[in-house]
Amino acid sequence: MLFSRAKMALVAGAICFSPPSVWAASCCGGGSATSLILPKFSKSMVNIALDIENYNGFWDSNGDYLNDPAGSDLNQYRLNFGYAHRMASRWQAAIVVPYVWNSNQYAGLSSNTQGLGDSTLGLTYEAFDGIKCVWKVRDWKDLIPAAYFGLALTVPTGISPYDNVENSFDITGRGFYRLDGNILLDKTIYPWNASLLFSYGKYLERDVNREYGNYVEPYKKELGDRMLGTATFGYTHFLESMDTMTFSFSYSHLEEDAGSIDGRPDISSEMEKNSIGAIVAYSTMNRDWVYKLSFIHASPDSGQGQNFPVTDILTLGVSHVFR
Amino acid sequence: MFSARHLILVTMLIASLGLTGCDGMTDDLLPSGDDKRPDVEAGTIGTQVGQLAPDFSLFDTLGNSRGLYNELSNSTGVVLYFTMWCPICETHMSNLRTEVIPNFPTVKFFLVDYVMGTIEYSRAAQEAYGYTDIETLVDTDQQVFNLYQASMGTTVVIDSAGNIVRMNEDYKDGVKLIETLQALP
Repeated sequence: MLFSRAKMALVAGAICFSPPSVWAASCCGGGSATSLILPKFSKSMVNIALDIENYNGFWDSNGDYLNDPAGSDLNQYRLNFGYAHRMASRWQAAIVVPYVWNSNQYAGLSSNTQGLGDSTLGLTYEAFDGIKCVWKVRDWKDLIPAAYFGLALTVPTGISPYDNVENSFDITGRGFYRLDGNILLDKTIYPWNASLLFSYGKYLERDVNREYGNYVEPYKKELGDRMLGTATFGYTHFLESMDTMTFSFSYSHLEEDAGSIDGRPDISSEMEKNSIGAIVAYSTMNRDWVYKLSFIHASPDSGQGQNFPVTDILTLGVSHVFR
Repeated sequence: MFSARHLILVTMLIASLGLTGCDGMTDDLLPSGDDKRPDVEAGTIGTQVGQLAPDFSLFDTLGNSRGLYNELSNSTGVVLYFTMWCPICETHMSNLRTEVIPNFPTVKFFLVDYVMGTIEYSRAAQEAYGYTDIETLVDTDQQVFNLYQASMGTTVVIDSAGNIVRMNEDYKDGVKLIETLQALP
């Protein structure tokens, strides 16, 4: 029964607060890391990404940074399987299924657990028909970004504290449905690229009658609304083969409002996290294959977050586009 | 390419459905609000609400031996909060300190540290996280943690007669704890 909701907090990092993953291409391929977005004029895409997340203390409810107990070494590994499919010229759908491994040494205790995480179903509308990447601005219309408007449903396929778990080692999900609205603006004027992602998510209230395998007096619980904003700026270098290397930097701000328990504010659920990232993407000339490496860093300083672990995330990803 | 793509998709779907279909792991998809707590016989010893709390003895972080029923003999009740010094624990403990403890001077509140393993390390954690004002019991080998079927954040309320009253569950927002303590005789 160790780690219990700390495990949930870790999983929260996996499911809810992970930065934009190393997904595939932007409208032209090889763009910035945003979400599972299928490039224009392609039929489908498969993406596999491995997240390696290391935990390094936490911010308390006042935003002050605190170290983990001596001897702690907390790690989480997530293998994300993603598939995107074009439904129509402007519509695409996607599914992402993560598998989670937890490897933790906490003070004098150790645990190793694994299981399916919470899955995500996405539907995205592309508000443009042609390629929006340009080499030179000749007209004001060349400045119009590629705009994506999406809905994403998080499905609690992971193992949460409210499942029939014998102990808390098994936890790999938060246990709540969440519906996100996403807006992504992406503009490339070669060799430069910039993108803005804004996401607003609302959790659905649920009944709870069990905590870590023990039945309790039933109550209703809802997590707070979630907001994510990410700005990315990148540079693309063309190799002689016309393959590309894209180097990007990102800044993300994530926050989750206080949730509720039977309609009352839940003091333990309000969270915040700021992070910066560096991304390197290699794309083949025809943009069919994209390989990405990213490092997302949260600064272990007071004021950079609240009520949440401080983590660094290394991600390795590859995607293949089917034309 | 077409068949390979669909093969991958089908494999992913089957894998996910297979894994989520494991027994007891799909409760989040269709949550239940039914009260499924087992019936208990009053006066029996156990960890369910309505049962008599099992006795235990632990050292606190100052090296003093503390027994549950000894503490109950000179108080109107005992509250145990199981901590592992993590973000959520810190939020709970902060709320406990400011919103609960001052209002119930005749109740004894104990943090139960089940992770640090030694009195020395537990005391160090207590000092590092700023909770030296709340007495902390050191559950060196997790005996009490297992005895009470606890988890992180589990809060147990025991009245002076040794009965577990309303709570052996997560702290949540502290409201239920306050209501429970207000109802103590």
